[in-house]
Amino acid sequence: MNRPLSPFMFPIWYRFQITSALSILHRLTGIALAVGSILLAWWLVSVAAGGELFAATHAFIASPVGMLLLFGWSTAFFYHLSNGIRHLAWDAGYGFELRQAYRSGYAVLAATALLTALAWLYVFLP
Amino acid sequence: MAKAPSLSDATALRDETVLRQVRHLGSARSGLHEWRLQRLTALALIPLGLYFAASILWLAKSDQVTAAAWLASPVPALLVILFVLAGLAHALIGLNSVVLDYVHTRARLLAAELLIRAAAIILAGASVLAVLKLFLGR
Repeated sequence: MNRPLSPFMFPIWYRFQITSALSILHRLTGIALAVGSILLAWWLVSVAAGGELFAATHAFIASPVGMLLLFGWSTAFFYHLSNGIRHLAWDAGYGFELRQAYRSGYAVLAATALLTALAWLYVFLP
Repeated sequence: MAKAPSLSDATALRDETVLRQVRHLGSARSGLHEWRLQRLTALALIPLGLYFAASILWLAKSDQVTAAAWLASPVPALLVILFVLAGLAHALIGLNSVVLDYVHTRARLLAAELLIRAAAIILAGASVLAVLKLFLGR
């Protein structure tokens, strides 16, 4: 009988696990945040420059595309922050049991949703 | 009284030999150093990131004058500079380790690493200059 060997069998033979999905997501959000540092530097420069540059930057951020990007980056930020704390706990030797790893994984997802929702509620509520 | 060679000296010598073998390995070619720096910057980024996120949320409802005044005050200026530097150092190590996993040609790997490093240095320089301009221009 041919048994599945490794994740490249995904998604037909290899069962989806939240642990590996969150691990990949940590990398993807990390890359996204690194790209986001371009906007961060750009924004700081525009505040320092003021005038037309700031107006153009503000217009871009306030546009639908800008807001969508900001929403994505804020979600990525809160996810990478929460899951980063989970990784630091692992580095310190805690939470390696399978049940704990699953539980902390769901906690990270809940924290991401909660922090992102709170942040955007604060922005949009008067 | 002459000091007898202690066990810890012998262990240190052995560790040094082992260390020599693993030096210059890893995606930054510096062995354990980048692993440690990744964790140290991660720890620093927890409070710095939360501070920055909270500040941006507060600034989201204000204008350029408020943002400029905020960045011109000492504590925000310092914390934003530290956030940017820790964040870019963290990103540099992270991106290098991603590149190391997917780029298998020596020349391309070097090119990608140099490109990432250059981008991080330019972004860090621009961010620090912007904050310093506001801070010093008060």
